[in-house]
Amino acid sequence: MDSLLQTFIEAGTLMLAGMVFVFAFLGLLVIFINLVLVKLANKYPDPIIQSKSKPKAKKTNIASNGVTPQVVAAIGSAVTQYKQKHGDKA
Amino acid sequence: MEQLNTLWLSTGLANFELGQVIMMLVGCGLLFLAIAKNFEPLLLVPMGFGAILTNIPVAGFSEVGGLLHYVYYAGIDTGIFPLLIFMGVGAMTDFGALIANPKTLFLGAAAQFGIFATLFGAIALNAIPGFEFTLQDASAIAIIGGADGPTAIFLASKLAPELLGAIAVAAYSYMALVPIIQPPIMRALTTEKERKIEMAQLRHVTKIEKVIFPLGVLLMTIFFLPAATPLVGMFCLGNLMRECGVVDRLSSTAQNELINIVTIFLGLGVGSKLSADQFLNVETLGILGLGAVAFSIGTASGVLMAKLMNKLSSEQVNPLIGAAGVSAVPMAARVANKVGLEANPHNFLLMHAMGPNVAGVLGSAVAAGILLALVGQ
Repeated sequence: MDSLLQTFIEAGTLMLAGMVFVFAFLGLLVIFINLVLVKLANKYPDPIIQSKSKPKAKKTNIASNGVTPQVVAAIGSAVTQYKQKHGDKA
Repeated sequence: MEQLNTLWLSTGLANFELGQVIMMLVGCGLLFLAIAKNFEPLLLVPMGFGAILTNIPVAGFSEVGGLLHYVYYAGIDTGIFPLLIFMGVGAMTDFGALIANPKTLFLGAAAQFGIFATLFGAIALNAIPGFEFTLQDASAIAIIGGADGPTAIFLASKLAPELLGAIAVAAYSYMALVPIIQPPIMRALTTEKERKIEMAQLRHVTKIEKVIFPLGVLLMTIFFLPAATPLVGMFCLGNLMRECGVVDRLSSTAQNELINIVTIFLGLGVGSKLSADQFLNVETLGILGLGAVAFSIGTASGVLMAKLMNKLSSEQVNPLIGAAGVSAVPMAARVANKVGLEANPHNFLLMHAMGPNVAGVLGSAVAAGILLALVGQ
């Protein structure tokens, strides 16, 4: 019975120490995030968002028209050439 | 005639013992749960099959020279398999929700009360004849409350290898039962008004924060709890591979091929511990019961902590997300989201619940480190 009581006391100490340590450790992590990570984020904002938006816009253009930029350029130059020729004749 | 007799004696039918038959049925039960009920199938299929293989008479799968013997000693006894799984889990984890709302770490911490409270329960069971749990056994059983399979297997293999089979079965069973166990506790501890609380949208988390975070966690573990560095270190390695963006191939391997291969052998190795002499005893019933208690207390303490946080904090906190503090990623977060949607169909709590959910993974790894440091000697 005494040994059971002894183990209970050990388990109680373990519970107390364990919970205090878990809270302390994760609490330190909260401080780390608030002090270090947030400052880092302010100093080095994400460049990915800006660079990503441009190619995305291009991609949607291509997808919605179904025409690649090369084809657009080729048609453009053909139209210009036609207009020039047409203008010459007139 | 003598040769016929020898042939008969080499058959399974002549060598079966009742315990082996029962354990094969337990293996079939696990296969049924995995295949028909979809309960943690990735682990229960190899585990259930391992249970069948290890109980085949004469074949000697788990004896020296047998496949499962080497799988167990190479991967589980050494702790390698759970650690590799942890690396894969790290590679799959996005800490964005946690970094955006760091106070949810306290919810992950509170949910670990389930682990430490169950220590008491396991010791208290010693008062009943038939139970003889040492402090090491009790600690290994209590970690079921962390609802983290690899952590439970890692700690059990270090503190109580003879209980590993029952602890792994209990841990994965309760993780699969999250959608059944948690909602009644969540509803009982919260009011309808609290469940309807809508939380503010999370801020954007930059890449540099996500890259520095695992390194910071590792540094703190090195300083304050080196006993937890095997688990936390592998977890942080996986997460850094995911977030740094320069080793996508390694990150992809860690969260796909590698974790799949290791899961097969981890399941088989744990299954090899499901032998009649180690599983068919009254202690297994105690472990299954204590696992449920641990899990329920963990859920309840997470919800209560979230309620307290809601009262003290300037920002509103829906107490349901506290239940996700018990790891079981991402199932517990999905459950919080589902119960929240029942109360308010426009309230999506999934991302908010992912914060305490991944905090719970860290919390249970820290708790395992504490138990290893204090009772591991």
